[in-house]
Amino acid sequence: MKALLKNRSYDYIIFIALFLLILPLGHLLGVISVNTISLWGRYFCFAIAAIGLDMLWGYTGILCMCQALFFCMGGYGIAMHMLLSASGEGTYGKAIPDFMVWNQVTELPFFWEPFHYFPLALICALIVPGLFAGVFGYFIFRSRLKGVYFAIITQALALAMWLIFLRNETMLGGTNGLTDFKQLAGLDLTAASTKLLLYITSCLVLIGVYIGSKKLVNSKFGKVLVAIRDSESRIRYTSYEIKNYQVTIFVIAAVIAAIGGILYVPQTGIITPGRMDVKASIEMIIWVALGGRGKLKGAVFGTLLVNFLYSIFTSTLPGSWLYVIGILFIVTVLYLDQGVIGLPQQIKTYFAKRKSAKL
Amino acid sequence: MVKRKTALYIRLLLALLPLIICATNDGDIRLLMSPDKATKSDAFSRLLAAKQVATFPVLNAINSKKLFAYNGQLVSIGEKNSTANQVTYDVFLLFPEIKTLTDKNNAPLKVPLSALQPIKFSRKERLSLIPLLPYINLTSTDKDLRKLAYTQFQNTPKLEDISILEAASAKETDTELMRFAAETIAIVKLLNATTPEAQIAQIRRLEANKGDNTVFLLNSYLENTTPLTPNVQKRAREAITNLNDRATRIDWIQNLFSGLSLGSILILIALGLSIIYGLAGVINMAHGEFMMIGAYTTFCVQELFKISNGGALSDAFFWLSIPIAFLVSGTFGLVIERLIIRKLYGSPLQSLLATWGVSLVFIQLARTIFGDLTSVKAPALLSGGWHVAPQLVLPYNRIFIIIITTVMIILTFLFLYKSRLGLRIRAVTQNRNMSACLGISTKKIDAMTFFIGSGIAGIAGCCMTLIGNIVPDMGQTYIVDSFLVVVTGGVGNLFGTIVAGLGIGQFTKILEPIFHAVYGKVIILGIIIFFLQFKPRGLFPPKGRIADD
Repeated sequence: MKALLKNRSYDYIIFIALFLLILPLGHLLGVISVNTISLWGRYFCFAIAAIGLDMLWGYTGILCMCQALFFCMGGYGIAMHMLLSASGEGTYGKAIPDFMVWNQVTELPFFWEPFHYFPLALICALIVPGLFAGVFGYFIFRSRLKGVYFAIITQALALAMWLIFLRNETMLGGTNGLTDFKQLAGLDLTAASTKLLLYITSCLVLIGVYIGSKKLVNSKFGKVLVAIRDSESRIRYTSYEIKNYQVTIFVIAAVIAAIGGILYVPQTGIITPGRMDVKASIEMIIWVALGGRGKLKGAVFGTLLVNFLYSIFTSTLPGSWLYVIGILFIVTVLYLDQGVIGLPQQIKTYFAKRKSAKL
Repeated sequence: MVKRKTALYIRLLLALLPLIICATNDGDIRLLMSPDKATKSDAFSRLLAAKQVATFPVLNAINSKKLFAYNGQLVSIGEKNSTANQVTYDVFLLFPEIKTLTDKNNAPLKVPLSALQPIKFSRKERLSLIPLLPYINLTSTDKDLRKLAYTQFQNTPKLEDISILEAASAKETDTELMRFAAETIAIVKLLNATTPEAQIAQIRRLEANKGDNTVFLLNSYLENTTPLTPNVQKRAREAITNLNDRATRIDWIQNLFSGLSLGSILILIALGLSIIYGLAGVINMAHGEFMMIGAYTTFCVQELFKISNGGALSDAFFWLSIPIAFLVSGTFGLVIERLIIRKLYGSPLQSLLATWGVSLVFIQLARTIFGDLTSVKAPALLSGGWHVAPQLVLPYNRIFIIIITTVMIILTFLFLYKSRLGLRIRAVTQNRNMSACLGISTKKIDAMTFFIGSGIAGIAGCCMTLIGNIVPDMGQTYIVDSFLVVVTGGVGNLFGTIVAGLGIGQFTKILEPIFHAVYGKVIILGIIIFFLQFKPRGLFPPKGRIADD
């Protein structure tokens, strides 16, 4: 705290004071409803995924259009665990989740087995997206696909995976997704205290991921990433194996997204394929772009801002949201190259330029 | 000699028989219009007992309570025409044959209900028609009902029905139903045949006829009829194998055709995308929405035609809407290029995001203006299909899309390679700065290219109205696939786009029956990623130094 004060990092102090002190205290005093708490808890999860995306796009210059896919993979992992831990408590009292009973499945599919145990489920929920990203990324980066090509291929991947998750026979709940969770690690998910606990956990994990990512991008590894973004061929000439850096950051981003997903699902109580379609991934990009890409702070700020706007607009002016987000996209790209975070700096340079022009 | 003469007489008599029967029926038919209830009733029951095919349309009209007298003729009503001040119906004559009545100009006569005098029958009389329904329906105006009637005869084959079936099938005009009728007659004869020769003859007829149900019918014939001589069994099995082989071949042709059709849709969408990307390096995420605009333009043209024609709609609107869709979508593209994309040349990812924003706004705009679901009535010329062979029908709308795609490819090729503007576009695509130095106004070329690219998307949208509804987010359906076409074909390469589009379309349709459509899509993606390992810049990458970063 002292260090923060000394460095005049007021934004960090405001963040901690607002989300770790005022909101929880307000809830305990009965001023702020548990729904609001839970809402912000979910935004933190999005922010975690956005940090991963910012490292990919803002720092390495890879526009990934399937970040929501990794987010959902993590989410599905924890959802599978929660369904299994409540097995026997479903409507039919069977050892398998209810939706399998509807689909005339009698035995648990093999890939559900590891999700019986909480630690194993957590590990799986992180490793599967990581591994998937690793294999996919290896083949993509090996053939030196980048820029627009990479964006299109990841977009097609998001579409294909979305279609697969929609199917019933993949045993992941089809269109309805997974829902009706009862408990997580012995905690009752409907209780207000659990929701507060999840909120605080999300906030702390967000801070943790932020600090970790900050360290990463400031390390030598991070410098190489920025160099790849700025001139890929020059870095290749200086005998760096670009592919390895790209695959590594792709996997890291995927795992970070999965962490977000793991925290997200217990708070919403449902995960459906709708969360992982092409649109969802591209929306994540606008969070980063609006906040300010190439700055981790910007990714977090942008996510919270866009989602906050979303909740306001959908409740007051239903039907207007697509206009708002569409125009946000255009305005951000056209005029806010540095994002909202970089806006003061942009204004400063603008006036400085005008001043020098007058002289 | 005498024998010959007798035979001649008999033949003459047989030839005249329908006429004679017709004459007697004619009397009864006229009596139906009689005001006297008893006479009417008697005539009706005589008609029932006679079971003559010629009278079935009349009985059918009685059954559906649509029998009217008009100018001393028995008629029934067809299509309803509503105009602002009155409701009229098309009227058709029922006896001696079904014929739509026309006015002096040979246009269908439109008669208000008040001019028709209904002929009513009691409920009891109508109920007495029920056992005759399968017979009556053989001449129904409704194609489905006729088919159903023949199916009933296939299920309960009785030899005494043969003459009626033959008479009905002689009146049949629809090719598909003619085949169905022939199949029915043959199977009825087959099931009632007793000698092996007669059985084999009917099996041959069935095989040559190539009906839809033949395999099923022959199979159940083999199972249920005993005893059959080995010869007949062998012949029937051969017929089944032959027909099954033929069905497999037809499936293949159908699949190839739908692959071709999907491929041409993808090409039509990817064509504009590819030109724009090649020239300006802009991946236009709103491309699908320009297509959607084309589709809605077609819808608007249709509605305008309806208003100006007072409700009626001719086919002309569709042909006219093709160039209009090109212009409207092109104009939208031009405006977007001027306002937004112009500022983003040189930063492809940024322009990708901005155009995505544009697409969201367009989708919501369409939803606000048009609501969720509208559709265009396909022109009569393009409904139905080309009956190449029995069971092989190629829908006209798909053929039309293939033709339009071919025409667009040729036009685009001519434009790019034979016109001055095309030459300039190619120059800017190759080297923007050098072209600018040589006095080409690159800004004008950019705008022009966007206009044409979006316009082609508009034509694609116009075609899409033929095969589906118009919904605000229809652009999203094919857009990812057409991106893949552009990437696989090599950016900005006309020939690559065509090859990749046909390839992806064909592969999708080949994989679809083997796996489910969804897994087919995943496999295609896998194939493309695998393919890009060897050809990272597509099938036909740009050559030379510009190919580098």
